Amino acid sequence: MNVIEVKDLSFVYGVDTPFEKKAVDNLSLSIKQGEVIGLIGHTGSGKSTFVQMLNGLIKPSSGQVLLEGKDIWEKPKEIRKVRFKVGMVFQYPEYQLFDETVYKDISFGPRNKGLGESEIDETVRRAAKFVSLNDKLLGKSPFDLSGGEKRRAAIAGVIAMDPDVLILDEPTAGLDPKGRDVLLSQIISYHKERKNTIILVSHSMEDVARIADRIMVLNHGRLEMLDTPRAVFSRVDELESMGLRVPQITRIMTILRGKGYDFSDGILTVGQAFEEVVNLLKKEGKR
Amino acid sequence: MSFISAENVKFSYDEENKNVLNDVSLTIEKGEFVALLGHNGCGKSTMAKLLNGMLTPDEGVVVVDSIDTKNEEMTYEIRSKVGLVLQNPDNQLVASIIEEDVAFGPENLGIEPSEIRRRVDESLKAVGMYEYRRHAPHKLSGGQKQRVAIAGILAMEPSCVVFDEPTAMLDPNGREEVMRAINALKEKGITIVLITHYMNEAVLADRVVVMDGGKVLLQGTPREVFSEVPTLKRHCLDVPQATELAYRLIGAGVRFTDMPLNVEECVSFLEEVLG
Repeated sequence: MNVIEVKDLSFVYGVDTPFEKKAVDNLSLSIKQGEVIGLIGHTGSGKSTFVQMLNGLIKPSSGQVLLEGKDIWEKPKEIRKVRFKVGMVFQYPEYQLFDETVYKDISFGPRNKGLGESEIDETVRRAAKFVSLNDKLLGKSPFDLSGGEKRRAAIAGVIAMDPDVLILDEPTAGLDPKGRDVLLSQIISYHKERKNTIILVSHSMEDVARIADRIMVLNHGRLEMLDTPRAVFSRVDELESMGLRVPQITRIMTILRGKGYDFSDGILTVGQAFEEVVNLLKKEGKR
Repeated sequence: MSFISAENVKFSYDEENKNVLNDVSLTIEKGEFVALLGHNGCGKSTMAKLLNGMLTPDEGVVVVDSIDTKNEEMTYEIRSKVGLVLQNPDNQLVASIIEEDVAFGPENLGIEPSEIRRRVDESLKAVGMYEYRRHAPHKLSGGQKQRVAIAGILAMEPSCVVFDEPTAMLDPNGREEVMRAINALKEKGITIVLITHYMNEAVLADRVVVMDGGKVLLQGTPREVFSEVPTLKRHCLDVPQATELAYRLIGAGVRFTDMPLNVEECVSFLEEVLG
């Protein structure tokens, strides 16, 4: 089943000014319930504009966003309901923490959803568990947490809304390698348990390759690719011409493939590359 | 004598954040490009602030170009020798026009207007932002803003620039732009200290210093340091993918000559292995 369908979607900034710019240009695609979509594109490719249209933060200039088959702007006064279903974690979400305690901050969403006190408590604790924030931290001021903890607390606040579609805009930006790993693993295990739809916006091809079922590539507001990670990353030259950088390992294996070595296309991880090289060595040993 | 030397430095912020630096000794030579690595909370950024006298050590000494950073009368002198570029470009730009922003530093040093003009133009050219000199900073991309911030430091003609994760908030293009600008400074003979989480940036340095738990864990040329794959992994640090692949192949019995650090080296390493 398609949870989101986008039809001929466009968005133009600054209409009738010298700065008029088509940020999203006639996009059509559908996203299945439970899918993990990686969204990549260089700065200014329209990624953020696109995802902000998915939960009704901005209204399309033309075209439609269908959520479970219904146009989200059919009843503009009920757009708030869409935002409960499509949760958005912005870039650097830790700058949006505001309440006295981490607990209160995470409970803000569920409370506005109108849940009862015991339900709120359960939701907050479950969300905190998903991002490995222990009970001790819940009573602290969010401003006393470390950078990584703040990031996770902010994400918990969105998870606590229990959205059917969760959009994360550059969730690992600015974290150290360990922080990136931990956060991605948490998102993966959250998705396994909750089985909702996730859209991950990222510059990091490595991150996207690890988690996505399909990758969409935006360039100048247009949809250039929508396919499996392997298929997308086998088009190294095209990606680089759009100003995107493929993982170092992908580039190494692509160069060797070009030199005639028998490697698969679109290798994304060091593990895959290792196996391919070892297999090739074995084959040659047999000769 | 070393341009900067830190000897047995200890530093605590308060009771809760004790011994953020616990007996660090480090020297930086004139003209050297040193990369400082370590996971979050290992004391890297604290170290950066100690290098230009923003912080002073609780124990031990930091000496910059023969000046002890504890000497408060010399604080301005030290800061004009050692510039600091931070992570978030938005926090570092103060004026509404780029060339005015770059002029801010030298103006505060009381430099002659004609000399300021020369320095501003030269600094903006060095980072490739001269064409944008009359633009407003808020319309620039992150990488461009960061390059303007670097030009602002450059206009004070420091001998050394410390970069604290200058590319962490940038996209891949922005990261490359900033690394090119850093390399241009290095070519001019400016001493560079680069704090980063990106191993591909660290391999460009003359020397890599790895910090952990407020101490220096490892240091050496990039090739020496990145050959220590298990040690780095144990301390939650990455190595470049090129190095990791070679390391795993060596573990599987493949013989090699030199540990590869980048794409080109890894390709020729594999060509050698595969024949």
